[in-house]
Amino acid sequence: MRSNFLKLVLPAFAILLAVGLAFATEDNTIANEGYYLDDFGNWITVTVEPECFNGGQIACTSDGHQLYAEKSTSSFPLAKN
Amino acid sequence: MPNRGIYPKLINLFSLLLTLLFVYTATSKLIHLDTFQTRLERMPYISSYATLISWIVPFLELVIAGLLWFQKYRKVALYGSLVLLGVFTIYILVVLNYSDSIPCSCGGIISTLGWRAHILFNTTFMIMALLGIIWYHNDNIIQTHQNTT
Repeated sequence: MRSNFLKLVLPAFAILLAVGLAFATEDNTIANEGYYLDDFGNWITVTVEPECFNGGQIACTSDGHQLYAEKSTSSFPLAKN
Repeated sequence: MPNRGIYPKLINLFSLLLTLLFVYTATSKLIHLDTFQTRLERMPYISSYATLISWIVPFLELVIAGLLWFQKYRKVALYGSLVLLGVFTIYILVVLNYSDSIPCSCGGIISTLGWRAHILFNTTFMIMALLGIIWYHNDNIIQTHQNTT
Protein backbone atom coordinates (compact mmCIF):
# COMPACT_ATOMS: atom_id res chain seq x y z
CA MET A 1 0.00 0.00 0.00
CA ARG A 2 2.77 2.39 1.05
CA SER A 3 4.85 1.30 -1.93
CA ASN A 4 1.94 2.05 -4.28
CA PHE A 5 1.63 5.49 -2.74
CA LEU A 6 5.28 6.25 -3.47
CA LYS A 7 5.30 4.69 -6.91
CA LEU A 8 1.99 5.91 -8.24
CA VAL A 9 0.08 8.43 -6.14
CA LEU A 10 2.94 10.75 -5.21
CA PRO A 11 4.33 11.28 -8.75
CA ALA A 12 0.81 11.54 -10.18
CA PHE A 13 -0.02 14.17 -7.56
CA ALA A 14 3.22 16.07 -8.30
CA ILE A 15 2.57 16.04 -12.05
CA LEU A 16 -1.03 17.19 -11.66
CA LEU A 17 0.01 19.93 -9.24
CA ALA A 18 2.77 21.15 -11.58
CA VAL A 19 0.49 21.20 -14.62
CA GLY A 20 -2.21 22.98 -12.60
CA LEU A 21 0.28 25.57 -11.36
CA ALA A 22 1.58 26.13 -14.89
CA PHE A 23 -1.93 27.01 -16.08
CA ALA A 24 -2.73 28.98 -12.91
CA THR A 25 0.33 31.23 -13.30
CA GLU A 26 -0.08 31.57 -17.05
CA ASP A 27 -0.92 35.29 -16.79
CA ASN A 28 2.28 36.06 -14.89
CA THR A 29 4.55 34.85 -17.64
CA ILE A 30 4.27 37.82 -19.97
CA ALA A 31 7.71 38.59 -21.30
CA ASN A 32 9.41 41.71 -19.99
CA GLU A 33 10.85 43.25 -23.09
CA GLY A 34 13.29 46.09 -23.46
CA TYR A 35 14.75 47.73 -26.55
CA TYR A 36 18.09 49.23 -27.49
CA LEU A 37 19.43 51.08 -30.49
CA ASP A 38 22.39 49.21 -31.98
CA ASP A 39 25.42 50.73 -33.74
CA PHE A 40 23.63 50.54 -37.09
CA GLY A 41 20.53 52.43 -35.90
CA ASN A 42 18.29 49.35 -35.59
CA TRP A 43 16.06 48.72 -32.58
CA ILE A 44 16.86 45.37 -31.00
CA THR A 45 14.36 43.67 -28.66
CA VAL A 46 15.70 41.75 -25.66
CA THR A 47 14.18 40.05 -22.62
CA VAL A 48 15.01 41.96 -19.46
CA GLU A 49 14.65 41.27 -15.76
CA PRO A 50 11.47 42.74 -14.20
CA GLU A 51 13.45 44.89 -11.73
CA CYS A 52 14.58 47.05 -14.66
CA PHE A 53 11.07 48.47 -14.94
CA ASN A 54 11.15 49.74 -11.33
CA GLY A 55 13.83 52.35 -12.00
CA GLY A 56 16.96 53.00 -9.93
CA GLN A 57 20.61 53.98 -10.06
CA ILE A 58 21.98 51.07 -12.10
CA ALA A 59 21.25 51.39 -15.81
CA CYS A 60 20.00 48.23 -17.50
CA THR A 61 22.06 47.57 -20.59
CA SER A 62 22.47 44.93 -23.22
CA ASP A 63 25.66 44.54 -25.22
CA GLY A 64 26.77 47.89 -23.77
CA HIS A 65 23.67 49.79 -24.91
CA GLN A 66 21.07 51.47 -22.68
CA LEU A 67 17.76 49.64 -22.69
CA TYR A 68 14.47 51.52 -23.18
CA ALA A 69 10.87 50.58 -22.38
CA GLU A 70 9.83 51.41 -25.93
CA LYS A 71 11.49 51.74 -29.31
CA SER A 72 12.32 55.38 -28.71
CA THR A 73 15.24 57.10 -26.94
CA SER A 74 12.72 59.48 -25.36
CA SER A 75 10.92 56.57 -23.68
CA PHE A 76 11.68 55.34 -20.12
CA PRO A 77 15.36 54.31 -19.84
CA LEU A 78 15.36 51.03 -17.92
CA ALA A 79 17.23 51.02 -14.60
CA LYS A 80 17.25 49.12 -11.31
CA ASN A 81 18.57 49.45 -7.76
CA MET B 1 12.64 -4.99 6.86
CA PRO B 2 15.91 -3.24 7.64
CA ASN B 3 15.87 0.39 8.67
CA ARG B 4 17.59 2.25 5.85
CA GLY B 5 17.39 5.67 7.52
CA ILE B 6 16.10 8.96 6.27
CA TYR B 7 18.05 9.07 3.00
CA PRO B 8 15.58 7.12 0.80
CA LYS B 9 12.82 9.45 2.05
CA LEU B 10 14.94 12.48 1.19
CA ILE B 11 15.67 11.05 -2.28
CA ASN B 12 11.90 10.70 -2.75
CA LEU B 13 11.37 14.29 -1.56
CA PHE B 14 14.07 15.64 -3.92
CA SER B 15 12.62 13.59 -6.79
CA LEU B 16 9.22 15.07 -5.99
CA LEU B 17 10.56 18.64 -6.02
CA LEU B 18 12.54 18.06 -9.22
CA THR B 19 9.42 16.56 -10.84
CA LEU B 20 7.38 19.62 -9.81
CA LEU B 21 10.04 21.94 -11.24
CA PHE B 22 10.50 20.12 -14.55
CA VAL B 23 6.81 19.44 -15.23
CA TYR B 24 5.88 23.02 -14.26
CA THR B 25 8.52 24.67 -16.46
CA ALA B 26 8.00 22.25 -19.36
CA THR B 27 4.22 22.84 -19.31
CA SER B 28 4.69 26.62 -19.12
CA LYS B 29 7.08 26.49 -22.09
CA LEU B 30 4.72 24.33 -24.12
CA ILE B 31 1.69 26.55 -23.32
CA HIS B 32 3.64 29.53 -24.71
CA LEU B 33 5.78 27.71 -27.25
CA ASP B 34 5.80 30.69 -29.64
CA THR B 35 6.95 33.10 -26.92
CA PHE B 36 9.58 30.63 -25.74
CA GLN B 37 10.86 30.24 -29.31
CA THR B 38 10.92 34.02 -29.85
CA ARG B 39 12.91 34.52 -26.63
CA LEU B 40 15.40 31.84 -27.69
CA GLU B 41 15.80 33.51 -31.08
CA ARG B 42 16.91 36.69 -29.28
CA MET B 43 19.52 34.96 -27.18
CA PRO B 44 23.20 35.04 -27.95
CA TYR B 45 25.03 31.90 -29.20
CA ILE B 46 21.92 29.69 -29.49
CA SER B 47 19.55 31.76 -31.65
CA SER B 48 20.14 29.63 -34.76
CA TYR B 49 19.00 26.52 -32.90
CA ALA B 50 15.91 28.16 -31.35
CA THR B 51 13.31 25.86 -32.95
CA LEU B 52 15.20 22.70 -32.06
CA ILE B 53 15.93 23.83 -28.48
CA SER B 54 12.32 24.97 -27.93
CA TRP B 55 11.20 21.36 -28.44
CA ILE B 56 14.15 19.49 -26.96
CA VAL B 57 14.26 21.34 -23.59
CA PRO B 58 10.62 20.69 -22.52
CA PHE B 59 10.85 17.14 -23.91
CA LEU B 60 13.99 16.43 -21.84
CA GLU B 61 12.41 17.99 -18.75
CA LEU B 62 9.34 15.76 -19.06
CA VAL B 63 11.40 12.63 -19.74
CA ILE B 64 13.64 13.30 -16.70
CA ALA B 65 10.58 13.99 -14.51
CA GLY B 66 9.09 10.65 -15.60
CA LEU B 67 12.29 8.65 -15.18
CA LEU B 68 12.72 9.93 -11.61
CA TRP B 69 9.84 7.62 -10.62
CA PHE B 70 11.24 4.43 -12.09
CA GLN B 71 13.65 2.91 -9.60
CA LYS B 72 15.72 1.44 -12.43
CA TYR B 73 16.27 4.82 -14.07
CA ARG B 74 16.28 7.11 -11.03
CA LYS B 75 20.07 7.44 -10.92
CA VAL B 76 20.18 8.35 -14.64
CA ALA B 77 17.36 10.87 -14.09
CA LEU B 78 19.19 12.47 -11.16
CA TYR B 79 22.33 12.78 -13.31
CA GLY B 80 20.16 14.19 -16.12
CA SER B 81 18.64 16.76 -13.74
CA LEU B 82 22.09 17.82 -12.55
CA VAL B 83 23.45 18.15 -16.10
CA LEU B 84 20.38 19.99 -17.44
CA LEU B 85 20.30 22.49 -14.57
CA GLY B 86 24.08 22.83 -14.81
CA VAL B 87 23.86 23.67 -18.51
CA PHE B 88 21.14 26.30 -17.82
CA THR B 89 23.22 27.86 -15.03
CA ILE B 90 26.48 27.91 -17.01
CA TYR B 91 24.63 29.47 -19.95
CA ILE B 92 23.20 32.21 -17.71
CA LEU B 93 26.65 32.91 -16.23
CA VAL B 94 28.26 33.06 -19.68
CA VAL B 95 25.57 35.35 -21.10
CA LEU B 96 25.69 37.64 -18.06
CA ASN B 97 29.27 38.50 -19.05
CA TYR B 98 27.84 39.74 -22.31
CA SER B 99 24.76 41.48 -20.94
CA ASP B 100 23.51 42.42 -17.47
CA SER B 101 19.90 41.83 -18.46
CA ILE B 102 18.54 38.43 -17.61
CA PRO B 103 18.56 36.16 -20.64
CA CYS B 104 15.69 34.16 -19.21
CA SER B 105 13.50 32.06 -21.44
CA CYS B 106 12.52 29.80 -18.59
CA GLY B 107 8.94 28.77 -18.01
CA GLY B 108 6.23 30.21 -15.78
CA ILE B 109 6.79 32.57 -12.87
CA ILE B 110 10.44 31.48 -12.73
CA SER B 111 11.03 33.86 -15.65
CA THR B 112 10.18 36.76 -13.32
CA LEU B 113 13.16 36.00 -11.07
CA GLY B 114 16.18 38.28 -11.16
CA TRP B 115 19.38 36.63 -12.36
CA ARG B 116 20.90 36.32 -8.87
CA ALA B 117 17.73 34.65 -7.57
CA HIS B 118 17.65 32.48 -10.67
CA ILE B 119 21.20 31.22 -10.19
CA LEU B 120 20.48 30.57 -6.49
CA PHE B 121 17.28 28.74 -7.45
CA ASN B 122 19.10 26.55 -10.00
CA THR B 123 21.96 25.89 -7.57
CA THR B 124 19.52 24.73 -4.87
CA PHE B 125 17.98 22.19 -7.24
CA MET B 126 21.43 21.12 -8.48
CA ILE B 127 22.47 20.45 -4.86
CA MET B 128 19.30 18.37 -4.40
CA ALA B 129 20.13 16.32 -7.51
CA LEU B 130 23.75 15.89 -6.38
CA LEU B 131 22.75 14.79 -2.87
CA GLY B 132 20.19 12.46 -4.45
CA ILE B 133 22.95 10.84 -6.56
CA ILE B 134 25.30 10.46 -3.58
CA TRP B 135 22.63 9.04 -1.27
CA TYR B 136 21.21 6.80 -3.97
CA HIS B 137 24.71 5.41 -4.55
CA ASN B 138 25.28 4.90 -0.79
CA ASP B 139 21.83 3.31 -0.39
CA ASN B 140 22.63 0.84 -3.17
CA ILE B 141 25.92 -0.10 -1.49
CA ILE B 142 24.08 -0.71 1.83
CA GLN B 143 21.40 -2.80 0.08
CA THR B 144 24.01 -4.86 -1.79
CA HIS B 145 25.92 -5.39 1.46
CA GLN B 146 22.73 -6.48 3.29
CA ASN B 147 21.83 -8.88 0.47
CA THR B 148 25.25 -10.53 0.53
CA THR B 149 25.47 -10.97 4.33
